[in-house]
Amino acid sequence: MKQNRIGQPMARVEDARLTSGQGTFIEDLNPLPNIHHAAILRSPYPHARIKAIRTEKAERMPGVKGVVTGEDIARMTVPFPVGVTAPVKYYSLAVEKVRFVGEPVAVVVAKNRYLAEDALEAIEVDYEPLPAVVDIEKALEQDAPLLHDEVGSNIANHRFFDYGDVDRAFAEADHVIKHKFRFPKYSATPVETYGVIAQYESSGNHLTIWSNFHGPFTLQSVMAAALQMPSNHLRIIIPKDVGGSYGIKSGVFPYMVLMGVVSKKLGLPVKWIEDRQEHLTASSSGTDRVTWIEAAVKLDGTVTGLKMKMADSVGGYIRAPEPACLYRTHSNSTGAYRIPNLHMETIAVMTNKSPTGLIRGYGGQQLYFPLERIMHMIAEQLGMDPADVIRRNLIQTEEFPYTTPSGGVYDSGDYTAAFEKALEMANYREFRERQAKAREEGKYLGIGLACIVEPSGSNMGYITIALTPEQRAKSLPKSGSAEGATVSIDPMGGIAVRISTTPTGQGHETVAAQIVGEVLGVDPQSVRVIAEMDTLTSPWSVASGSYSSRFASIGSSAVYKAAEKVRDKLLNIAAEQLKQPPAALDIENGKVIVRDDPQQQLSLKRLIGSAHWNPQGLPSGMEPGIHETAFYSMDNALPPDENDHVNGSATYGFVADAVTVEIDADTGEVKILDYFTVHDAGKLLNPLIVEGQIMGGLVHGLGGALYEELAYDSNGHFLTGSFMDYLCPTATEIPDVTIKHFETASPLTPLGAKGLGEGNTMSAPAVIANAVADALSPLGITIDSLPLTPSRIWSMMQDAHKSTKQSKEVPI
Amino acid sequence: MNGSGEIELYAPVDQVWSKLMDPEVLADCILGCNKLELIGENKYRADLSVGIAAVKGKYDATIELADVQAPHSYKLIMHGEGVPGFLDAEGLLQLTPLDEGRTLLSYNYNADVGGKVAAIGQRMLGGVAKLIIGDFFKKLKKEIEKGQQSA
Repeated sequence: MKQNRIGQPMARVEDARLTSGQGTFIEDLNPLPNIHHAAILRSPYPHARIKAIRTEKAERMPGVKGVVTGEDIARMTVPFPVGVTAPVKYYSLAVEKVRFVGEPVAVVVAKNRYLAEDALEAIEVDYEPLPAVVDIEKALEQDAPLLHDEVGSNIANHRFFDYGDVDRAFAEADHVIKHKFRFPKYSATPVETYGVIAQYESSGNHLTIWSNFHGPFTLQSVMAAALQMPSNHLRIIIPKDVGGSYGIKSGVFPYMVLMGVVSKKLGLPVKWIEDRQEHLTASSSGTDRVTWIEAAVKLDGTVTGLKMKMADSVGGYIRAPEPACLYRTHSNSTGAYRIPNLHMETIAVMTNKSPTGLIRGYGGQQLYFPLERIMHMIAEQLGMDPADVIRRNLIQTEEFPYTTPSGGVYDSGDYTAAFEKALEMANYREFRERQAKAREEGKYLGIGLACIVEPSGSNMGYITIALTPEQRAKSLPKSGSAEGATVSIDPMGGIAVRISTTPTGQGHETVAAQIVGEVLGVDPQSVRVIAEMDTLTSPWSVASGSYSSRFASIGSSAVYKAAEKVRDKLLNIAAEQLKQPPAALDIENGKVIVRDDPQQQLSLKRLIGSAHWNPQGLPSGMEPGIHETAFYSMDNALPPDENDHVNGSATYGFVADAVTVEIDADTGEVKILDYFTVHDAGKLLNPLIVEGQIMGGLVHGLGGALYEELAYDSNGHFLTGSFMDYLCPTATEIPDVTIKHFETASPLTPLGAKGLGEGNTMSAPAVIANAVADALSPLGITIDSLPLTPSRIWSMMQDAHKSTKQSKEVPI
Repeated sequence: MNGSGEIELYAPVDQVWSKLMDPEVLADCILGCNKLELIGENKYRADLSVGIAAVKGKYDATIELADVQAPHSYKLIMHGEGVPGFLDAEGLLQLTPLDEGRTLLSYNYNADVGGKVAAIGQRMLGGVAKLIIGDFFKKLKKEIEKGQQSA
């Protein structure tokens, strides 16, 4: 039993069903008779007015039950609420205008998907094409094509922040180092695409939706508002098996509303499963971002101030939870460094691209790419070693808990030790010698470093920083990161746990079983965990769901607290029967024993039996049965203050990366020689799952660094609608990865755990870019955009060779 | 997407011109053109079926001849729409007389392609455009020179 305790690498309980074909995903569900199938007609234009839609021909086709268009949607729903003041009207189907390629324009419902797709071809839409804009800087220009007339510009959200004395830091700086960086739009590509089953019952105005949506459940209220339904009439059920998400599936919510309306209009239960082309074209993605960054630097490499202007492209419509990508890392904007003065300008701009939303790393990769690149550029300009610049600025162990200028409170860490470990693993000094030798042979070797802070367990208050303090004051403050869990025991002693963390493959069932097993002194294998989520029966709150790595910090804590309540109840029953105070008792191996006299004991089965079969025998005042729910939130997740300080996350982990690369001089291909990553995520709950999560996050980051981009041409046409053009790393692209852990327990969470699994998604694009820049530094090449595809690097190398040749030819 | 080219035809300008203005000839020479009907002056409706990469499908197209300056040049404006996406193309055809009764046909075009075709087939588009245009002139040359022989 010991091998399955908290912190031990217990094998995942989910895997038996998943590897034997017994997982149940949304496509497998058939919860109702008479389900009909929907197909969606999508816009081929990036920006166009819809002059007319003719559906009669499609409606007359055999097997077709009906068609829904934007007119129905405008009549039956209101625009989705979103946390900005710009009056953007976003509906689940295009109304009057389309604003990105792939935007849903009409839905056909038929007896099966084949007939529905055939009928799409019979719908005639008259479009009046309008000029499109996809470039962030162009979209910000005065005369740019305007996406939303009622907004008056393409800006959906715009804020300025000043912390410390930025002007003074820059006035007193020895150097000011600045650069502009572009981060690409990319996605995650879960094997399972979006899926929705919707059933509307007119008798009670009830809508039940099954979907592979994983929260945040703040969006339940967004959906209910769009549907204009009492929230308890909108029941959402999430299957226990979701085939990956990495944040992307939170973007299924507009389709949940859409299918709800379709079911209501046609009076039929409907099912819609997204295909791969639809997924790449129009599901969701991270934002692309332009960052203008400036650092105030002292001669010794100390960074005293930062200015960052960041502009995120949120696509054709800003939709919840955006503009959160701009603010999720607001509290850790200065990363792992002690930089006291910070100025930020944040802009969310709408462009004729697909709308954005959650993605693993959310905001972190966009932040750390410019931040970690500028640390290397500082070293370059000062003639220092980048490792020394990092060392000089890292937050020191004795400074924890460390408060950042924007209000983040880093709970614990030993950044220097972890960073030095990464250098040691990479044989940093030795590699520098190897690199010098290789350069003499015309080879391009490079080493990159990155130190990043990994926030986890989002504070619901952080997103309200998108509003000014005056705007915020007008509504209820938002804070906390609440999550619930229920632990119950049936009359025969069977333990069940109900969680609302909607896992999408992270093994929450396993870890919940480990926690409950340990707290109740039973074999975790005997604990049954129900991960299926139901908004009418599960213990949940607004923050529930699977995002911001919140299971290890928050979700697991709710499970722990619920198990503790059960444990306390069992000990209280035992205390009376054994005539001992509860504090004198231990619970282990299925028994409660008197600690100092282990001969005195009672089996759990007997205690549980009393609670169910003999309530009269319970201590007076105790309720019968065993069914305990706990809600857990973090005390430090407070609303933003009037000076825009906010502690955006519950806990903050740390990742130090060192990566070595070789660039092929002929092809420009980047070969990763070694990837060393040192993590500190507090106490690890299950090292086996940790390993898998870190590898997954790292490979996602590798995709962002080298391969993945949702590309559009300058007219707004989408160019990467299949895996032939949208390149994902596969098994053969995975480099050698060495992972090392430090476990600086969080003083804030009951188990000392912090979230993880997003860290390398945030760090990999930055560290690989640093390594490539280091390798190509003899050519004077600057790396300031991603992904680093061979053709891009090859072109830069060619240009560099040409310009050095030219400069050689200049007569003296 | 744009391109240009020229081709030498063994026929005098007038003869080439009349072929170029003949809808039946155009319909025969355009790859995948199932039907071409006159709907107005110098304006046609066409049914095209073209497969690009994995995206096969039918397009409803309008083809318009503008700035017609007989027998020297015209502009061909094409707009096609279908389930796989849409195509907007504009081409300029010019005829220059050469010696020995030959004619030089020069052309340039630009095309904008969108929808599923662009999303799935963008790697192929340039090649497909070249293929369709190359095929058009090959067939046209054949048609003209066939006319020459029978004349």
